[in-house]
Amino acid sequence: MNDMTLTERAVQASDIKIEARGVQVHYGASHALRDVDVDILGKTVTAFIGPSGCGKSTFLRCLNRMNDTIDICRVGGKILLDGEDIYDRKVDPVQLRAKVGMVFQKPNPFPKSIFDNVAYGPKIHGLTRSRSELEGIVEDSLRKAALWNEVKDRLDAPGTGLSGGQQQRLCIARAIATSPEVLLMDEPCSALDPIATAQVEELIDELRANFSVVIVTHSMQQAARVSQRTAFFHLGSLVEYGETGQIFTNPSDPRTESYITGRIG
Amino acid sequence: MTPGLLALLVLAIAAAGFVIGRKRALSAASGDSRSLHSLPGYYGQSVALFAAVPALVFLAGWLVLQPLLIDMRVGATITPADIPQGSSQSLVMSDVRRIADGLDVLAARGAPDTASLDPATLRSRLAEAGIALGNDVKPAIFDAATDYRARAAKGRLAMTVAVIALSAAGFAYAFSRITPAFRARNVVERFIKALLIGASSVAILTTLGIVLSLVFETTHFFRLYPAREFFLSLTWNPQFRGGSDLGIWPLLWGTLYVSFIALLVAVPVGIFAAIYLAEYAGRKTRATAKPLLEILAGIPTIVYGLFALITVGPMLRDYLAQPLGLGSSSSSVMTAGLVMGIMLIPFVSSLSDDIINAVPQAMRDGSYGLGATQSETVRQVILPAALPGIVGAVLLAASRAIGETMIVVMGAGAAAKMDLNPFEAMTTVTVKIVSQLTGDTEFASPETLVAFALGLTLFVFTLGLNILALYIVRKYREQYE
Repeated sequence: MNDMTLTERAVQASDIKIEARGVQVHYGASHALRDVDVDILGKTVTAFIGPSGCGKSTFLRCLNRMNDTIDICRVGGKILLDGEDIYDRKVDPVQLRAKVGMVFQKPNPFPKSIFDNVAYGPKIHGLTRSRSELEGIVEDSLRKAALWNEVKDRLDAPGTGLSGGQQQRLCIARAIATSPEVLLMDEPCSALDPIATAQVEELIDELRANFSVVIVTHSMQQAARVSQRTAFFHLGSLVEYGETGQIFTNPSDPRTESYITGRIG
Repeated sequence: MTPGLLALLVLAIAAAGFVIGRKRALSAASGDSRSLHSLPGYYGQSVALFAAVPALVFLAGWLVLQPLLIDMRVGATITPADIPQGSSQSLVMSDVRRIADGLDVLAARGAPDTASLDPATLRSRLAEAGIALGNDVKPAIFDAATDYRARAAKGRLAMTVAVIALSAAGFAYAFSRITPAFRARNVVERFIKALLIGASSVAILTTLGIVLSLVFETTHFFRLYPAREFFLSLTWNPQFRGGSDLGIWPLLWGTLYVSFIALLVAVPVGIFAAIYLAEYAGRKTRATAKPLLEILAGIPTIVYGLFALITVGPMLRDYLAQPLGLGSSSSSVMTAGLVMGIMLIPFVSSLSDDIINAVPQAMRDGSYGLGATQSETVRQVILPAALPGIVGAVLLAASRAIGETMIVVMGAGAAAKMDLNPFEAMTTVTVKIVSQLTGDTEFASPETLVAFALGLTLFVFTLGLNILALYIVRKYREQYE
C-alpha cells in the first residue's frame, strides 16, 4: 500500500446528491444486487470497487436508469436524486439521463465529426439558441476534457479516427456538454494506456469542482488516487462504504481487507 | 460400353481401391496404425482418388471432344454438291447424325447388315423405326452416315479402353506409393482443395459463358442493325417483315419507371419495418414478425403477377385512374410498380434489419446515456451509422426490380411508349426480351437478335448496380471490424 499516493481527503461534508435505499436488482431469475444503501455526496468522487460480477456496474447503471434498456432487468428499492425518487412514474428517464451523464468502459464515439459528437447532447436537449453558443459549449467541454488543444484544428474529422485515449476524453467531453449534475463512469480507463489513464484521472479530479462523479474501477490504485469515498461490493452486496483513506488503510470488514491486499477477487 | 456404365466401373475400381489401399497401409505398418503418418482411411482415399478422378476427368473431356472431331472429319467428306439449295453444311451434318442414330436403332432391332441397306429405301425403313427424315437419303449422305457410325464406334471403344487403363494406372501408382511414411493426409487435402476450387470456378465460368454468349449474339445483332439507332432511337416498333425501329429508350424508360415506383414503395416501408424490428419490437414480436415478412420473399413472382393482374390492376383502374380521368387500362406502370414494391419489401427490410443490428450496442448506450430518446437515437446515431449498408440493400433491391419479369409481363402491359402518366400501360426490357424470343420469326433476324442486345444492356446495368452495392456494403463492414 505504500506506493499509493493518497490524495487529499478533505471531504467537505457537503449535501447528499444521491440517496439509495434497499436497492435490489434481478436479471430474470438471478438476484444480481441485494439491499444496497449508498449516499453519494455532491462535488465528490466516489469509487465503486470489487471483483468482477459483484454488481458494481449494475448499481451504477441503476443510477441513471440505463438498466431500463435491458428487458429482463427489474429494479427494486428507492433511489433519490436531490430527494426525488428517480423510479417514480412521473420521472422521465430521458430527462434523468440528461442530469446523470454516463461514460462507458469502451470509448464509444458516434461515427460523426468531433464537433457533432460533443454537440449531440446540447442539440437534442435544446440547450443553445445560436450556433455561436453551441460552438462555445463544444469548445468549453473539449477544454474541460483536456482535448481541445489536440483537436481544435480538426473538429470536422470523424471522432472514430482519434486514438483510444482521445476517444475516451471525447466521450467525457460529450457527457459534460449537457452539463449533468452527476457523472457516472463505468471503468473509463480499462481500455486505455497508462499515459491516457493519467490524463483521464487528472481530468476526473478537475471535474469534481463542478460535478459529483461516480467511478467504477478494477484498479485499486486508481480508486485510491482519484476518489474521496469508496464503496466495496462483493457477491451482489455492499460490504463497506466510507472515506477512501479509511477503506484502504483501516477497513472494518475482513472481506474488504482481503480484497485490497489481494487475497480475494 | 456406354459412358454411364464406364463411370460406374471407374467408381467401382475406386471403391475397391479404398478398401485395398487401407488394408495395404495397415499391413505395411504391421497392424499398428499409430506408426502410420496418416489414419489408414486416408491411404484408402488417396488410392480411390487417384483411380477415379483422372479417369473421370478424361472421360468427360473425351465425351466433349469426340463428337467435335468426328463432325470435323465427316464434314470434310461432304462436298458442296451434296448440300441442297437453301440448306447449309450444319443442317446436312445434323441429317447425317440422325441417319447414323437411325442405323443404330435398326441394328439394335436385328437388321442383317446396316452397311448393305439401300439408301433409296432407307427413309421408309427409318420411318418404321420411328425416325422421320425430311427427304430421301442421297448416297453421299448415306456414306457419310455409315462413316460417322464407324468412327463413333471406334471412338467409343478407344474411350473405354483408355478410361479403364487410366483408372488402373492411377490405382497402381497410388497403391505403389503406400508406405508408413507416405503423407496420404496431405495428398487427400490437396485433392479436396482442387475439388473446391473446381466447384467455385463452375459459377465463375458460367457467368463468363453467359456474358460471352450474350456478347457474341449482340455483335451479330449490331452487324444487322446499327448500334446508333438501337441506343439513340426513341421508337420501338418491331416489324416482322423487316424495317423495324428498335430503339431501346421506350423499354428502358418503362423499366426505370416501374422500378422507381417499386422502390418508392419498398424503400420507406422496408426501412421502417426494419427499424421497428431491430429497435422497438420485443424478442417475441421479432421472432414472429421477421419470418412472416420474409415469407413475402418466398412467394413466386408469377403469383405476384396474378395478384397484379386480377386484384391490384382492376382496383387501381376503377378507384383511381378512371375517376381521375387518367386512363382506362388495368395494366399500368402503377400496378406493376406497386406489386413489385411489395415483393421487394422483405429484401430491403431483412438486409436493413441485419445492418441495423450490426450497429454496436455501445452506440445506443452512448446516445441513451446522454438523454436521447429512442427515435432520436435511431435518427441521429443508428441510421447514419447504418446508412452505407442500407444504401447497399436498396441497390440490391433496385437490381432485382430492374431484372424482374413476371410481374411486369402480367401487370404493366406490352405497349412500348414513353409517357409520364403512371396509369398508362408501358413495357419493360425484360418483357420485350420474352416477346421477341417467343415470336414466330426467323432466329437470325434483327427482330429476334435484339433480345440479346437488350439482355446485355440489362446485364451491364444490374451488374453495375450490384458492384456498386457490394462496394458500399464492404466499405461499411470495415467500419466496425
